[in-house]
Amino acid sequence: MRRRPAISKELRKGSADLLILSLIEERPRHGYEIARLIDERSHGTLTYHVASLYPTLYRLEDRGLIEGRWVERTGVRRRRHYRLLPKGRRVLAAERSVWHNFFAMLDRVAKIVPAR
Amino acid sequence: MDWSSDVRAALRRNGAEPDEQVVLEIAQHAAAAFAAARAEGHPPEEAAEAIRQQIERWCRDVAKYPQRSTARPAVTPPPMGSSRVTGWTHDIRYALRVLRRQPAFTISAIVTTALGIAAVGTLFSVAYGVLMRPLPWPDADRIVRIWESREGATRALPRILTNRTYDAWRERPDTISSLAAWSTVHGVTLDEGARGRRVQAAPVTASLFTLLAVPPVLGSTFSDSAAGGVPPREVILSHGLWLERFAGAPDVVGRSIVIDGTAHRIAGVMPASFQFPNPEVRLWLPFRVPPVQAQNGTTRSLSMFSAIARLRPEASVEQAAAEATSRAAGAPRPGMVDIAVFGTKGNAIVHAMPYGTYITREVREPVIAFLGAVALLFLTAVASISSMQLARAAARRREMALRAALGAGTRRLARQLLVESALLGIAGGAAGLALTAALHVALPSLLPADFPRLKDIAVDWRVMLLSGGVAVVAGLAFGMLPALQVRRLTLVEALTEDSLAPVGAARRTSVGRTRALIMVGQVAIASVLLVGAALLGRTFAALWNSDRGYEPANVLTALVLMPDRLFSPETRSVFLRDLLEHVAAMPDVRSAGFTTVLPLMNVESLMSFKMPGRGPGGPVDAQAAVRTVSPGYFRALGIRTAAGRTFTDADTAASDPVVVVNRAFVRAYLDGDAVGQALPIGFEDPGPTRWTIAGVIEDVQPLTRGEPARPEIYVSYRQMSKGLLFDEPLLVMRTGHDPASYVARVRQAAGDLNASVYLDSIMTMDDRLMTGLARPRLYAVLLGGFAGLALLIAAVGMYGVLAYSVAQRRREIGVRAALGATPAAIVALVVRQGAVITLTGLAIGLTGAYIAVGWISSFLFGITARDPFVFALVPIVLLVVAILAAFVPARRAATIDPLKAMRGTG
Repeated sequence: MRRRPAISKELRKGSADLLILSLIEERPRHGYEIARLIDERSHGTLTYHVASLYPTLYRLEDRGLIEGRWVERTGVRRRRHYRLLPKGRRVLAAERSVWHNFFAMLDRVAKIVPAR
Repeated sequence: MDWSSDVRAALRRNGAEPDEQVVLEIAQHAAAAFAAARAEGHPPEEAAEAIRQQIERWCRDVAKYPQRSTARPAVTPPPMGSSRVTGWTHDIRYALRVLRRQPAFTISAIVTTALGIAAVGTLFSVAYGVLMRPLPWPDADRIVRIWESREGATRALPRILTNRTYDAWRERPDTISSLAAWSTVHGVTLDEGARGRRVQAAPVTASLFTLLAVPPVLGSTFSDSAAGGVPPREVILSHGLWLERFAGAPDVVGRSIVIDGTAHRIAGVMPASFQFPNPEVRLWLPFRVPPVQAQNGTTRSLSMFSAIARLRPEASVEQAAAEATSRAAGAPRPGMVDIAVFGTKGNAIVHAMPYGTYITREVREPVIAFLGAVALLFLTAVASISSMQLARAAARRREMALRAALGAGTRRLARQLLVESALLGIAGGAAGLALTAALHVALPSLLPADFPRLKDIAVDWRVMLLSGGVAVVAGLAFGMLPALQVRRLTLVEALTEDSLAPVGAARRTSVGRTRALIMVGQVAIASVLLVGAALLGRTFAALWNSDRGYEPANVLTALVLMPDRLFSPETRSVFLRDLLEHVAAMPDVRSAGFTTVLPLMNVESLMSFKMPGRGPGGPVDAQAAVRTVSPGYFRALGIRTAAGRTFTDADTAASDPVVVVNRAFVRAYLDGDAVGQALPIGFEDPGPTRWTIAGVIEDVQPLTRGEPARPEIYVSYRQMSKGLLFDEPLLVMRTGHDPASYVARVRQAAGDLNASVYLDSIMTMDDRLMTGLARPRLYAVLLGGFAGLALLIAAVGMYGVLAYSVAQRRREIGVRAALGATPAAIVALVVRQGAVITLTGLAIGLTGAYIAVGWISSFLFGITARDPFVFALVPIVLLVVAILAAFVPARRAATIDPLKAMRGTG
């Protein structure tokens, strides 16, 4: 197991919605794929535990932002895919601008430039 | 690997009743993590242990997971341990979701069922309305149709009763309570001048209304009086005519209306529901049966009409017929007139038949046969859906096995499948009923106008009940086979990767076997229906193309109405001569003539005479039909001359009296050369009593079907010194092009010559023929449609079965290809499978058809029921269709990549 720099529990929790919504924006994905992508793209700094990932997914689904659907293809294991709903798309856009403003504020106040 | 049991156990250890959704999803995650660990090179044991530890960690905080399913998946398997009622609702909800997820299957199943239900429902409504629904009169089952024949009668007789029997029976009968008669329904002219129009009228006895027990809504029916005598000038109006002509005026009784130029007193108005003897009749005129012997005892006349009787409650149909027969034996005999009508002077035999049976006798067998055909069609449609369901069930074996593993009993799974099928049945049934109702609206225009009891065909609760019942039964039938399949489900086999693809899967698996068997049945049904359709099609073609002895193409005909009150025989002849001249002068008219009786018309004008010296028994009683024609008639209708000559304009009242006879007359009454022989007959009194045969024509078929031609004598109107007695001759003209385009010109010409002449029923001869052939055509088109549908279903089914089999045999075919089988060999492999199924089905179907065709032999013409051409054609058609259907899956099989197939990927 890799060592990961500590990212506070609060920050992880706060960014979870944004991360999940933006990952399934590209195309529908199943839970394992979402977890793996977050791990990969954050180079291991951010890992979502099953116990937090799935409850988050269910919560997002309850809010009508995403929709889960069992997909069955011959020869392939049955998987639950999540896709972004129109409402989710709007929330994602709002979240993005919130985070954008947040980073802009961080830059102005603490001179932190988000990595590109 | 399936981790769901680990996940479920871990959650339970932490005190949660796991939500199945969560269990499945975490298990899915675990499986993916396991696969990833393996891919990184961890040995399986180690990886599995790591995953198990992770699962333990994931499941520690159970409070985070929802206790209920938050998901709205397309397929949520129904909970296993629920109560009876909620179990059903879960099953239904689940089935709806499954069906919604496979719209192509669902829609095709519903459409197939709907079409089947509509066909069954419509034919049942026809069968019930026409054959079973009681007639609209009180105790209608006691009303019988009465007609008579003669001992030793030589020919098929019209269904008529004579005044001789009627009068003898009418006095104090024991078996019947009343007797009624009506004469031929005919057109009359209502009102005069510009308002004048033609309507159908039926002359009926006063007893008809009391016999049927239908009172008038206004006024009274005819007053009964002793037999004979001149009937009063009275009329009873139909409800429709009363509304149209008098706007429903309540004081119409007693007013007068002009019918054929004579004022008639309106006696009453019948209710809207009253139709007799057919729906076209708009008014009823009084009819009196004339006595055989007039008051002075000298003249004897035979009158013929249709008759019905009402049975006494205790009497049977047979008793009534027997009583009438014995009464008629003692009645005065009309003499030679009997010969003219019956061809014999034998004793009268009276027949009786329940009226409802009588009017539908010609359509009973076809309707029942079509009900059978539609049942076969429905069966094959249901079978095709059942077959599709089987394939679906096979594809869902894993789901079923999984659910069985999760604790669902096989009974519960079978019920699930049945619920799914019943839903399909209900949806199809509802759509089918809607379609039945729509078809019912279109039915009167689809059925021939002379189809009996058209108005009694209705979509009522019986049709609804039957259609609904059939739909539910069909629905259950779809599900029965797959449900049985579930009971045989073995977990290990279903969950093993390759269980569905043993070598020779098409017949090795029970699904493959069952589907092949269904396919055999569908081919058999298609071949039975195809044989029927081909036979009826050939019958229609034979009827249409049969040599009738005349050429119906490019001939226009019209009834020329010249009533006695406006025309004398002499003025009629003059008018006709002028009209023929005008018509013949029209451009592109090849020839024109007229006749008193045209082929295809169900009327007859008969005569009898003593034909001397044939055989040892002295003179024979001869009977012949008489037609008065103009010389151009034979050419206009295209009748061929067999010997001698037909009439010319030179045959006049001043020249030698000559007749033309047909071949049937020669066969029946003459030896040797007919031309030149003289007949002891007369057409006018006073007038010549010996007429010489100038020529013989080929027989002309009297009606549409293959009745034998009867003896006929033709005489030219130009030789009648008094003129034409007959008041409704028929104009016949042969044209070079579309005869219908002459209608206006002919009307114009007739009107110019005499404004009081009325031309009626102007039709081309082809149209007359088509009207007469409407039923055979309907039967051929209907059964052809059924057979086409059955063939389509069979072809689609064949495609489905073979495509399924190819999918199952991918691996086997891949191995064969790898071992060197050529694409052609693989195509042959698949096509052979289709051919075996088809040949088996054909063998069964053709054997069945060979036995069953007896059913429709009574409405065949020109071919035998076991027509070798049909029995050779049908297998060829079916084989070609089957091979075409097999070819697509065969091609697909031939392009299978052996490497991919054996790896089990795409």
